[in-house]
Amino acid sequence: MTNLLERVRPAQAAAHARFRRRRSPGLAGLAYAAPAAVIVALFFLFPLGLVVWMSLNKWPLLGPPTFNAPTNYAQIADNALVLDAVVFTLKYTAVVTVLLFSISFGLALLIQNRRPGVGFFRGAFFLPAAVGWATATLLFFGLLSDQIGPINDILQWVGLIDAPVSWTAGDPGLAFGSTVTLVIWRWAGFNMLILLTGLQAIPTELYEAARVDGASAFHAFRRITLPLMRPTIALVLCLMITGSLLGFEQFYILTRGGPGSSTTSVVMVIVREAFIRFNLGSAAAMSVLVLAALVLLNALQLAFIRRKTS
Amino acid sequence: MKRPTYYVSMAILSLFFVYPIVWSGWSSIRLGDAFSLDSYRKLADYGEGVGTYLTNTVILVLLTVGGTLIVATFAGYAFARFRFPGRGLLFVLILAILMVPYPTILIPLYVLLGWFGLQDSLLGLALVMIMFQLPFAVFMMRNAFESVPRTLDEAAMMDGCGSFGALVRVLLPAVVPGLVTVGLFAFLASWNDYVAPLILISSNDRFTLPVAVVNMRLHDFGAVDYPTMQAGVVFMALPCLAIFLLLQRYYVRGFMSGALRG
Amino acid sequence: MDMPRRLGALLAAALLATACGGGGGAESPPAANQSQAPVTIKVWTRAATESHTKALADAYNASHTNKVEVTAYPNEEYPAKIATAAGGKNLPDLFASDVVFAPNYVSQGLWIDVTERFGALPFKDKVAPAHIKEATVDGKIYAVPHTVDTSVLFMNKALYTKAGLDPEKPPTSLKEMAEQATTIREKVGGDTYGTYFGGNCGGCTLFTFWPSVWAGGGDVMNPEGTQSTVDAGPMGAVFDVYRKLFEAGVAAPGSKEENGTTWLGALQAGNIGVAPGPSAWLGLLEEKGIDVGVAPIPGVDGGTSTFVGGDVIGISATSTQADAAWDFLAFTLSDQVQSDLQTKSRTTVARTDLTASDPRVQTMNEVMAVGRTPYALKFNESYNDSQSPWLKTLRDALFGADPAAALKAGAGTITASLNQQ
Repeated sequence: MTNLLERVRPAQAAAHARFRRRRSPGLAGLAYAAPAAVIVALFFLFPLGLVVWMSLNKWPLLGPPTFNAPTNYAQIADNALVLDAVVFTLKYTAVVTVLLFSISFGLALLIQNRRPGVGFFRGAFFLPAAVGWATATLLFFGLLSDQIGPINDILQWVGLIDAPVSWTAGDPGLAFGSTVTLVIWRWAGFNMLILLTGLQAIPTELYEAARVDGASAFHAFRRITLPLMRPTIALVLCLMITGSLLGFEQFYILTRGGPGSSTTSVVMVIVREAFIRFNLGSAAAMSVLVLAALVLLNALQLAFIRRKTS
Repeated sequence: MKRPTYYVSMAILSLFFVYPIVWSGWSSIRLGDAFSLDSYRKLADYGEGVGTYLTNTVILVLLTVGGTLIVATFAGYAFARFRFPGRGLLFVLILAILMVPYPTILIPLYVLLGWFGLQDSLLGLALVMIMFQLPFAVFMMRNAFESVPRTLDEAAMMDGCGSFGALVRVLLPAVVPGLVTVGLFAFLASWNDYVAPLILISSNDRFTLPVAVVNMRLHDFGAVDYPTMQAGVVFMALPCLAIFLLLQRYYVRGFMSGALRG
Repeated sequence: MDMPRRLGALLAAALLATACGGGGGAESPPAANQSQAPVTIKVWTRAATESHTKALADAYNASHTNKVEVTAYPNEEYPAKIATAAGGKNLPDLFASDVVFAPNYVSQGLWIDVTERFGALPFKDKVAPAHIKEATVDGKIYAVPHTVDTSVLFMNKALYTKAGLDPEKPPTSLKEMAEQATTIREKVGGDTYGTYFGGNCGGCTLFTFWPSVWAGGGDVMNPEGTQSTVDAGPMGAVFDVYRKLFEAGVAAPGSKEENGTTWLGALQAGNIGVAPGPSAWLGLLEEKGIDVGVAPIPGVDGGTSTFVGGDVIGISATSTQADAAWDFLAFTLSDQVQSDLQTKSRTTVARTDLTASDPRVQTMNEVMAVGRTPYALKFNESYNDSQSPWLKTLRDALFGADPAAALKAGAGTITASLNQQ
């Protein structure tokens, strides 16, 4: 875009170049980025460094740590919960990503055209994004409860179930389903809006040309919408996958990882290591591995998408 | 899709998203077979009184929103308009904040805040919240600035403005939707966050609303006071919903201004 | 093992009156720092203990120049809060803990040694011995009792009468309890069930099932807390009783999903015949208009025992005002404060030498003498936590296909957890 503008307006391009030479934009840029850099260094890099250092030590709650690398990493393999949690987290991520993406995309397609009332529906779908995690989970906790929750009554009335069901603590499948529903409810509207921006960035002339050529709606979707949406879809998928792999609050508050350990995610195991078992070194080691895995995954994902688009 | 089919299915879908919120409001005032505001009275009297928690939350929100806007505006401007050493690295680091399992990083953060004398303070908590907002906020502001034609600020600079003058006089008005979106999400995050305040704040009179509301639910273990819990949910959610609906025009444009391109 | 303690404003008011009007001050040994400038003592408790601690703090603040400031945290997040504060070397002056977690906090060095201070108390031999034992390592005491809660049987007298049973004749064995529960279910029926238990709650079941094991002369683990013995002795028979009650529909169906959050609520509804629960529930059940009888928890074929639970409290290792903090602890254990607690809250207290006027509370006090508090360094992660091996074991033993195999496997996984570094 810049290049285009510079070609069209040589005078200003020259001014631009002059400005660059005169004011040393490197320093100015650095100055503008400085507050963010300071915050990242102090509140992210430094604690992260400490986490890495903790992962190499036996780290008691009080008292001096003792270097014991690589014991904390080796112990992860012995932890009975870890394997189950990794499998569960991957399963959860797959299910949530597929469902959440399909629903969000579906909603975005439904509201992309201007029609009367569309603004209202867009607002309705997006509304749950305004409710925080703790609030949303407490809300669902009541909604699904047998004591005051209406869900059991409604389903019994419709005839889908015979007796009240425990949505969060009974059957593992139901607890899983309840959590996925909560996540979709909370996030579908947000992802819909991101996808909508991608949809609306596609020039309408393309669709008109396709229609003139006699292409069906499905054909246009596959040949125009999907390819042009690739960057937006990539962003949404990255966010969904990263968010699901780090899933914690939804399980922690709604199901407490149960019944049994059927909804225990990796981050829940980390929290358990740190705050129930007080094994800070081991918790740090797991965090480092999770971070490394996510950075790798996202790098691969971005590289893959970049290659495909270019 | 035919018109009636479209509207009926849209109405059913909307119901799925809106019903839980409406139900929450209903159940907070419905005690047994009668309507009552008792749950709200209980909520108001809990602990230090709801006023204290509300004041704390408002202070936290103001600090977080203000801080996030300032930091993200400058950083977004830097990324969109300047080349500087470490530019790529800083951007990747900011995005990496999204990838860290954040409950674990809270222990080192607590230690760090202690060194600065910011333990158990709303300012320290706000700094942490700002850090967690950076990925979304910087990304958003970078793209918002990029979607403004360069000719605008260049013209301003030819008129004698410095880069700061160009930012304040010309660019900021052009990125208002982006600013509103960033501010809104910083507001939602700091208003609602539970884990960070729980871990980083240690005094009753500095707790924020979510901690107080969750605390209240667990107060009588073995018997959940559902209506009061839902009153807490409504009290927490109402301001968010109100601001959300009021600002809808802006953040939809914020998103639309190509702000979330990959 | 989380137990509700809501002593309420009544108790606070009563304690205030005593502290101001008594004027004796003999109970509270004058501390050295009283003459100096007043200080603020910070105390942390979990939400379940909040009202108890606040009532004590209000009473103390009314009669002392030093001020006690109580902060309560959600029960589940409380250990996380302690861990973070310890990591930041910023613990409050005093913090309470579930008594079964005490060995872990002691081993982490979070409390200072109070052996000498405690030894100077005139009533040191009359303070809940199980709690003291739990907070003692190598002969040194690190914490003192804060609240005491025992597990007992609660009988709904109205339902007993309705089913043609004598509410004054409590079951003397677990089998008899099962019979009475079955009678109530059969004779009353409808929404009324014979019994109720927390089948998805590690803390609830260990608190109410283990006494039956002890009453039968068995145990769930070795005294060092390193070897689980759930596959040997009466544990299997105890599970079998509850398993059959659930299968026969005598135990309310909610028992399978009960994870503790609505445990008390189920009994407060007034349609459960007989069920074991925390002694602190007595007042909370009566509050709902239920005429309730109290009996010790029996073993499968007889005998009685109880789980002596509750909280202990100690002076944190990072506190700089240990003397002032101790002055408050000594105050909370003193004669007047403790007997007021007993009268007003009608629950068990931290002293063994004060007789109660309510015969039911007296029953609770008496079972305390035969009760136990199990010891294990890794208690929370092995038994209480929702990912603990105990929870999986008890669910398989109560609702699974092969209870014997479940207990055998459970003994292995619990032992592994007890020894995991």
